[in-house]
Amino acid sequence: MTGLRNRLSDGLRRELDEIYINGSVEHRLPGNLNVSFAYVEGESLLMGINDIAVSSGSACTSATLEPSYVLKALGTSDELAHSSIRFGLGRFNTEEEVDFVVQKVSAVVKRLREMSPLYELAKEHEEVKIRG
Amino acid sequence: MSYSEKVIDHYNNPRNVGSLPKGDTAVGTGLVGAPECGDVMKLQVRVNPETGVIDDAKFKTFGCGSAIASSSLATEWLKGKTLEQALEIKNVDIVQELSLPPVKIHCSVLAEDAIKAAIADYKRKQQDGQ
Repeated sequence: MTGLRNRLSDGLRRELDEIYINGSVEHRLPGNLNVSFAYVEGESLLMGINDIAVSSGSACTSATLEPSYVLKALGTSDELAHSSIRFGLGRFNTEEEVDFVVQKVSAVVKRLREMSPLYELAKEHEEVKIRG
Repeated sequence: MSYSEKVIDHYNNPRNVGSLPKGDTAVGTGLVGAPECGDVMKLQVRVNPETGVIDDAKFKTFGCGSAIASSSLATEWLKGKTLEQALEIKNVDIVQELSLPPVKIHCSVLAEDAIKAAIADYKRKQQDGQ
C-alpha cells in the first residue's frame, strides 16, 4: 500500500508543480496522503473528481468549511489548508486506479488554476510566494 | 454537499472566465476576499464610456463550486447592464437563482462585493482621468 501511495504521490508531482505533502512523508499511515494544490480551493477540486472518493481538509473536518485544525497543527498555512485533499488508499486499490486518479486530479487542477486569480497573480509576479 | 444543477452547470461550463487589461481606462477591476478564508474573486467589467453600458465582463475565482457559480453568474448578469443597473444586483438574487444553501450565502455576498468593487474602480479611473 505504501507503494501505491508513493505511486500516487510521484505521479501527481510529475504532472503538477507547487503541490505540497502535508505532514511527515516517512511517519504516516501507509495508505494516507494529504496534498495541498496551490492556487486551487479544495472543495472546487472535489467537485471535479466526483468519481473518486476523497475528502478535503483532514478526516475530522471533512464535513465543515473551517480549515482543518490538524493541518494547522502540522504547520500548513490557512491558504494551503483550503487547498488540500486527503487521499485514503486501501488494500483493494490497484495501480490502474492510482494512475486514473493522477490523470483526473491533474487535469482538474490545471483547469481550476486557469480559473484562479491567485495562480494568475503568482505567474505575473513570481515574487509572490505561498509560505506553507 | 449537494449542489443545485445550476451551480454544477456553472462549474462545468463557467461563463466568461478570463481577464481584461487592467490598465485599460474602460476596465474596472474588483478583487475581493482572502486566500486564508478560501474565497477570492476577481471580477472585471469593460464599460462603454459613451453609453455607460457594460459590454464585457470576466472573472477568476479561487473558491468552492458555489463561489465559482456566483461569480460566473454575476458576469452573465452584468453584460448589457448600465452601471446603475449593475449596482442593483443583490446577493439574494444570486442565492435564489443558484438555490444556494445557507452555508454558501457568503459566496453570493462576495460576488455582490466584487461587482461593487469593479464598478467603484472604473468610476475612480474616470475621475482620475487615467
